[in-house]
Amino acid sequence: MCVGLAAKVVGVKNGMAVVDASGAKREVSAELLDELEPGDYVMVHAGVAIAKITQDDESETDDLLEMLS
Amino acid sequence: MSEKKVTLAHGAGGRQTAELIREVFQAHFSNPEFTADDAAVLSVEKGRIAMTTDGFIVSPYEFNGGNIGKLSICGTVNDLACMGAKPLYMTCSFIIEEGFPMDKLEMIAASMEKTAKEAGVRIVAGDTKVAGKGQADHIFITTAGIGRIEEGVCTSGAFAKPGDVVIVTGDIGRHGCTILLEREDLGIEADIQSDCAPLWGTVESMLAATKEIHVIRDATRGGVGTVLYEIAAESGVGISLDAQALPVSGAVRGVCGMLGLDPLYLANEGTLVVIAPKDKAEVLLETLHKGKYSAKAAVIGEVTEENSGKVVMTTEIGAQTLLPQPGGELLPRIC
Amino acid sequence: MEEKKKTAKEIIESYDGPKLRIMEVCGTHTHEIFRLGIRKILPENIELISGPGCPVCVTPVSFIDEAVMLALEKQAAVCTFGDLIRVPGTKMSLGGARAEGGQVKIVYTPLDAVDYAAAHPEEQVVFLAVGFETTTPGACLAVKKAKEQGLANFSILTANKTMPNAYHALKGSADAFLYPGHVNAITGEEECRRLALEEGISGVIAGFTAKEILTALAVIIEKSRTGKSFFVNCYPRVVRPEGNPAGRELMKEVMEECDTEWRGLGVIPMSGMRLKAAYRDYDARIKFALPKIEGRANPACRCGEVLQGKCLPSDCKVFGKGCTPQHPVGACMVSNEGTCSAYYQYQL
Repeated sequence: MCVGLAAKVVGVKNGMAVVDASGAKREVSAELLDELEPGDYVMVHAGVAIAKITQDDESETDDLLEMLS
Repeated sequence: MSEKKVTLAHGAGGRQTAELIREVFQAHFSNPEFTADDAAVLSVEKGRIAMTTDGFIVSPYEFNGGNIGKLSICGTVNDLACMGAKPLYMTCSFIIEEGFPMDKLEMIAASMEKTAKEAGVRIVAGDTKVAGKGQADHIFITTAGIGRIEEGVCTSGAFAKPGDVVIVTGDIGRHGCTILLEREDLGIEADIQSDCAPLWGTVESMLAATKEIHVIRDATRGGVGTVLYEIAAESGVGISLDAQALPVSGAVRGVCGMLGLDPLYLANEGTLVVIAPKDKAEVLLETLHKGKYSAKAAVIGEVTEENSGKVVMTTEIGAQTLLPQPGGELLPRIC
Repeated sequence: MEEKKKTAKEIIESYDGPKLRIMEVCGTHTHEIFRLGIRKILPENIELISGPGCPVCVTPVSFIDEAVMLALEKQAAVCTFGDLIRVPGTKMSLGGARAEGGQVKIVYTPLDAVDYAAAHPEEQVVFLAVGFETTTPGACLAVKKAKEQGLANFSILTANKTMPNAYHALKGSADAFLYPGHVNAITGEEECRRLALEEGISGVIAGFTAKEILTALAVIIEKSRTGKSFFVNCYPRVVRPEGNPAGRELMKEVMEECDTEWRGLGVIPMSGMRLKAAYRDYDARIKFALPKIEGRANPACRCGEVLQGKCLPSDCKVFGKGCTPQHPVGACMVSNEGTCSAYYQYQL
């Protein structure tokens, strides 16, 4: 239901963060996340950063498949 | 001193009109064939002639990588080039909104002449009308052009054959993306330039490498996806695309990701779809990669006998799906 | 000798157990599953059902009618996500209202609508707030920001919805749910875990890349073999167990639960969100004294049954004939995420 975009935080100021998705930059709200820092990766939905991203999908899915076996 | 503007008097046919033509258009479009008479008189060699016309409205009229003037030359030059025709002569007709800044008009005319020179085409006649405030959106340009079709060249959207390869001459979606970012108030910044470019040189180099090219189309409005559907229908073939082979710049991908758009449907103004026999793919790519506007050319798929009229995509998991039929206004989406 | 580990794709393709019905309840999942062609690699005994997870598809006709009324009769500047522009109302869509001279603006985020209101004090600006727990915090932020700035010309028209009660309404429609990862990014794991433990409703939280969707399906397949109800968070790189507490707090502060109509499913108790009394000045329904509207959907449209997995788009008489993405009759054909649209556009 919700297009999410993984993007890198390049700046944080006054509750807003500038994020960069492979060269496309936009200011988004950072109010839902504590302690965002430049270099963090976040999931952005409709102009709001909703979660920090902790790893890539490769290692995430590897871990899950490991758990199954 | 206040900025000089185009006024209704400039379109009334009197002294101011003559002044506008002399100071702006003649000054820039000077060449032996540029006429002051009612029509240009031209001699054309024997052979086949291609002729085309195209109207241009673009908002904003100046954008990163070009302006409406450059666009109006490229559009007609590229349409001729797609038929394998060397562009020879062009005409241009302006509809200018009252109050349009004169220096912008000069900038546009200069850009047209520069682009025409690069394409080797001469602007030989023109027309200017001034519309009242609010009756036109700044400036509209219509161009027409003729070109001589190279000996032994025969391209058409109806000539794609099963087994042919599908090539795009550059990374896709840049013009559409540029305009979207400048026009809509989306707050997105990206280093993207319109691909707007005159492509006769690109086509000429391909034809020098091989005359065996079945289809050349410029992927303008509606983007590569739309053009492929047109070709599939006109040729009565299927087109099979490899999703992972599509050249898309990172920034275009990023903007599309933010807005939920697909670069396959974004307009290009300097990118061609080329369809040719498989055994010509290598020489064409080699030629294109040396070109000024086609360094990122890539084979993106092939023509098939099955799925006639359809464009089928092989996705990153190796499954085949139909490429959605383009249609309607591009709408940024959240879901 | 160590056996080579199977990939997620291999686990899916080699499944030969009993029939398994998996419902995705997120429109972005529906869209990605079609775009990637995942249905093509499923064995016959796995059925993927597209549930009611697209906010556009479940938004009732009356909401569009209200928005059209705001644009045309109340002369408001209606700000909306692009998704809603073509959704048919009783008489017309918002695109139609725009063609009739109504002011309809597409925004990327509700916060832009607030900025627009601040820059245009002479206009009344209304943001159309649709969406689930992922999208609602943004609307709440917008309202708070407008209040802080003392903007008297900004309000929102709410049709926000929450998922948990929909899972109950859909229990039995599927053997397992593919939970919508970006909703869970806000709500966390707790509710889904409880559904598995206490109510026997199985499911996994899934991400959106090809790898993530395939892996989530593989996990469902393997977990189903145990015969017990299960829950796994297959999107831990984004979904924390606790979700996003700040987002939930914000929603609690600005909005409250209410009964709401889901297109096709009818009214589901306490599955909607509306502004709390403290924010009533920002409620477009109150501000413009909108009358109660009974929207009329086209009677031939079977979107409701499609959303519940009770019939396929192709079972609907108007599918692909009177109803196409260019001329949608029902909401499921409008949104890129809509089940009918996905079937129409991607099915070979």
